[in-house]
Amino acid sequence: MSEHDESFAYQNFDTILRQMMQELGVSRMVTNYRIKADPDAPYFLISLRLGKARASIKVSDMALVDASPDGGKITITDENWAPALLTRLWQQYGRDAVEQLTRYEIIVHGATPEALSSMELDPGEELRNHVLDAVWRIFPEGFKVRHNLVDDQVMTILGTEHDLKEEWIKIAEDLHEEMHHVKEED
Amino acid sequence: MYEVLLFDGGVYKINELYELIEDVGGFVIQKTQVQVQITVTLAIPEEERPAIEAKTVELGGKLIDVPLAGTEIAVVAPTLGRHHMPHPTCDIAEQLRRAGAITVVMGLARGKGRRTAQISADEKAVIEEYDAAVFVLGNFKDCILEHKVKLFEDLEVPVVAVCGPEIDDLPSCEGLVCGVGRKVERMRREEEIHKLEEVGTTIEEVVRQKRKELDEDPLFVHPAEIKDRIAELEEVQRSLRPAPIVLHLDGLRVKIPYAEWKDQIAAVEVYGRRLGDIADISDSRLGGSTLIRIKTRAEVESG
Repeated sequence: MSEHDESFAYQNFDTILRQMMQELGVSRMVTNYRIKADPDAPYFLISLRLGKARASIKVSDMALVDASPDGGKITITDENWAPALLTRLWQQYGRDAVEQLTRYEIIVHGATPEALSSMELDPGEELRNHVLDAVWRIFPEGFKVRHNLVDDQVMTILGTEHDLKEEWIKIAEDLHEEMHHVKEED
Repeated sequence: MYEVLLFDGGVYKINELYELIEDVGGFVIQKTQVQVQITVTLAIPEEERPAIEAKTVELGGKLIDVPLAGTEIAVVAPTLGRHHMPHPTCDIAEQLRRAGAITVVMGLARGKGRRTAQISADEKAVIEEYDAAVFVLGNFKDCILEHKVKLFEDLEVPVVAVCGPEIDDLPSCEGLVCGVGRKVERMRREEEIHKLEEVGTTIEEVVRQKRKELDEDPLFVHPAEIKDRIAELEEVQRSLRPAPIVLHLDGLRVKIPYAEWKDQIAAVEVYGRRLGDIADISDSRLGGSTLIRIKTRAEVESG
């Protein structure tokens, strides 16, 4: 461990994390977190316990799906989901096949209406992206060698400058495991 | 010794102020007019201050102390990436501008990281062109004491380090302000504003010290005395840069290309001598600028 007193750094990172999550609108989705760092090693470790995202939703629940001459036509009824829907359609059918006529109407060439209406949108992915964005911004910039442990509940990211040592990965794994059992915001 | 002040007032009868400044042997460094309001940065012999104060009252203006006027200061951060700390860096630069300095914010190309943080010879040479440098460092004491301190250990210009953790003593720097660290937003809270003021006063102290050293072996002429003559050059008048001539403690930066204008600059006449004889004129590392370092009286007279 570092021979210096690093309490300022811990306190400062705590503030940065809170402010950053607030700025990105994910503070309610992260229920608990831990930051560990040893500047002497050096490694930086951050572990976040993720809250529940909105339940996944079917396309038929947020839009009307009809057949159209060369594919399926989607009329969005709940616009909150529009960006996620569009991203998903682009991923699955490609940008060329997705034609957005108006703000609410999308034609997907070569897709059946049945396939479109049974498609599910997972908000968890969006949440993870936001949280990951917050973590990237907080992480010391030079620590580019990273090791990630991610599951539905906890996201742990370890970073260093040069080689990652087994003992640090072990510390990260232990913390990752510990985060599964902590209470909310203690 | 010259004292630099800022007049803030209206344009009505402003010529009377200009005449008085000239009469007492002072100079106008910069004028910024916005409609009928005008701010004038002026340099006067310090014993003439009461006369200027009286004229300011007569004109209904205000006279503000600008302790850093006539200096150019570099504010350096290991990187300017969003990751790092652009907010404190910009806030510190703004604080110094309020005190009258011209500032430049600089990020190092390979400054990020701990052991990987480094500064190139080119970057050092750029920083050396300024009157002083402020290094804005991060959160970890270990990182600052063991590694970041190397970024400025060879610099000859005075350095003020700003960092997060409380450190009693940091080598290779003339001033140290602790308690800033990384921030994700502007420094607007009361304690943060006090911190900015502390950085300002530390830099003022460093600059005052450098001025004192210069006074021991005084310059042949004050940079402000040369400014007006250089401002008459055609290329300077054509320059669209906001401050085409910047004063340094021991010279000036003229933002016109060295290669094309060095002869005309050297030929400028100052008190019966060529500027080329009483100053070293060199190319600046920042493109399109020329540096003038005025020789001391002893250097000129012995040469």
